[in-house]
Amino acid sequence: MKQKIYIAVALALLLAVVLFMAWDMFYNKSASEANPYEFDMKALRSGDTLAVMYHEVAHFTPALASIHGIAVDKNDRICVCGETGVEIFNSQGKKEAGFPLSGTATCIHVDEKGLIYLGMQDHLEIYDMTGKQVAKWKSWGEKTVITSIATMSGEVYLADAGNRVVLRCDRSGNLLKKIGEKDPARGIPGFVVPSPYFDLGIGNMGELWVVNPGRHLFEKYDPDGNISATWGISSMSMEGFCGCCNPSNFAMFRDGSFVTSEKAIERIKVYGPGGEFKYVVAGPESFIEGTKGIDLAVDSKDRIIVLDPEKKQVRIFVLKTSSK
Amino acid sequence: MSKPGKYPVRIPRKTLNRCFFMLLVLILTLQFQEVLGVQRFPRPEFESGYVQPETLQPSARSGVLAIVDVLILIISLAVVSWLVIKRRSRLLVFWFSLFSLVYFGFYRQGCICSIGAIQNVTLGIFDSTYIVPITVIAFFILPLVFTLFFGRTFCAGVCPFGAMQDLVSFKPQKLGARMNAILGLIPYIYLGLAVLYAATRSDFIICRYDPFVGIFRFDASFGMFLFAGALLISGIFIARPYCRFICPYGVLLNWVSRFSWKHLTITPSNCIQCRLCEDSCPYDAIDMPVTVKNPETKSATTRKFILICLLVPFFTLLGGFTTSRIHETLAKVNRKVALTNMLLETSNNKDQPESIDVTTFKSSGKPISQVYSEASLVLKQFYTGSWILGCFLGLVIGITLAYRMVMIYRTDYIPNKGTCFSCTRCVDYCPVERNNEGLTK
Repeated sequence: MKQKIYIAVALALLLAVVLFMAWDMFYNKSASEANPYEFDMKALRSGDTLAVMYHEVAHFTPALASIHGIAVDKNDRICVCGETGVEIFNSQGKKEAGFPLSGTATCIHVDEKGLIYLGMQDHLEIYDMTGKQVAKWKSWGEKTVITSIATMSGEVYLADAGNRVVLRCDRSGNLLKKIGEKDPARGIPGFVVPSPYFDLGIGNMGELWVVNPGRHLFEKYDPDGNISATWGISSMSMEGFCGCCNPSNFAMFRDGSFVTSEKAIERIKVYGPGGEFKYVVAGPESFIEGTKGIDLAVDSKDRIIVLDPEKKQVRIFVLKTSSK
Repeated sequence: MSKPGKYPVRIPRKTLNRCFFMLLVLILTLQFQEVLGVQRFPRPEFESGYVQPETLQPSARSGVLAIVDVLILIISLAVVSWLVIKRRSRLLVFWFSLFSLVYFGFYRQGCICSIGAIQNVTLGIFDSTYIVPITVIAFFILPLVFTLFFGRTFCAGVCPFGAMQDLVSFKPQKLGARMNAILGLIPYIYLGLAVLYAATRSDFIICRYDPFVGIFRFDASFGMFLFAGALLISGIFIARPYCRFICPYGVLLNWVSRFSWKHLTITPSNCIQCRLCEDSCPYDAIDMPVTVKNPETKSATTRKFILICLLVPFFTLLGGFTTSRIHETLAKVNRKVALTNMLLETSNNKDQPESIDVTTFKSSGKPISQVYSEASLVLKQFYTGSWILGCFLGLVIGITLAYRMVMIYRTDYIPNKGTCFSCTRCVDYCPVERNNEGLTK
């Protein structure tokens, strides 16, 4: 009896092999019609929903034609920049002010004095909250693509994705130091930036954190450009970053934790100050497939303010009550 | 005394089984990692001036290495033939087959192999612009030449596919003559199709459905991983399923081996009819003695002869006619015919999304009428080819049936020269052999 079962199983498998060959040869339409070069990331897009510890509590839609950058000032006002304009909202999403621009601002930062810094592709423009231009810096060259701005101790840090470098400048726009250029002698690997998503930010201890997206790493620099710490893992799993260049954007909590956003697999996650994975804020199911440049900001109540360029919305996420 | 149905080697069988099982699991685990690593991400957006290089074909083995391969093939065939015919040692044949698995399988990555060489040789015959490399001819001819002299010693210890399946043959079961005969028709169909597709420059299907090359190269696609896995699992209970019921080269070896000059014998002397070897062959390749208890009458023999004379041509014509009816289905494998079908489908059904093949064709600027006329020419070739294929298959079926009707008298247990892989398992069971070795029970 046992022998008959063995033979039946083996014959069934053998038959399956032969039928597979015949089917594949004559009837497998998908083999001829499917595009073998098409990206297929369905498997990676499905994540663990149990890890989602945030929920969306509000969203609003700016009136700009397209939106590119978001920042929060010390009074939790939300500033959004985009195609030919800037709009300012209160913490509840009610519009308070706005002003036009001659071009498109691709990134925004608000300093402690309430000045708005706008990256205009190859140069920087500074405005006050009423829309009065305070300064316009010279162009850094046609290859420059400014993708992030931060200020600290009277200095301005610009992430130049085109030249794969961080520019440390004084408030007048004079270059003080180039940070992150490849220097093996100092252990600096250089930034790998294959796409125009290159973010930086200032931590709670006044340290400069820069994303090295091609390496899937966060790198910590001092003002002299010395690298002192890194964290991040390349992985297809939820804990890591994957693709050509991720994370695309990040913001920091007051306790030094990081909130990151990714493209390709659109998701937002929170990491602890040491880079340990903590929660998922929103998974791919929360975004339109193909959404890129999900800019982030964190307000004084630790709400995560998300710029969703595809939906043209500002979305606000808070930690679920039960998880507190 | 060994129990019938077991196949002893001098290393404990259990230990060997465990080792091979672990090896198999390791190989399959590595394969599975490859399978999972095929997802792709969007490309970077910055232009860097980098130009995507054209896809290159892997270069052929260098001249010296190709000669070395042929030399090693000759030496391997010679050594295994000697081990089978003279030494009659299962253990040594087994260890040599492991060397072949490593060299011809994992090191040479299973290419070019004698099985796939059928297609190159066919293409070389039908396409004057295609020159068959000498190495390919050597890999095709040499095993056949050695088989003509010594039986299928290539299968015994040189073919990496056979060695791979031998590793998993833990509980081989007997299938019975009828099942063997039915499943034994598959290799003929496969051979016929492989020749048809190679001759019409359509595809090399033996390579496309090569189950083990993905394992040898550690790059099997998910489908081929399952395909090879199913074959290997089936191989636990049906010894060498690929060799016996799929391998097209086995058909040629089977034919040639029937005329072999010096084939392996179970006993080196006279068979004493002890029946110890009766269940020793996991491939059902031992022909039992047929005694003359009920000899056929002359009229019965005449009736059978007439029936066979009618049956064989009938099946041949029936096969040819039937297969010619499906020549259009067979031709779907050809790229020109497949493209034509896609173009027709797209023009008939405008709502259907366009396939990448159609899009690529349209962007090439080639006139559609040219594709149609080329496809029509291919269809004509397939019509003729399918008649020949069908006649061949009908002839095989007819002869198989006829063979089963004919009573062949024999007095000894002998290996079937066509289906025997010369693995020498049966030799260990023969007490005559053991007497000669001084191991009398």
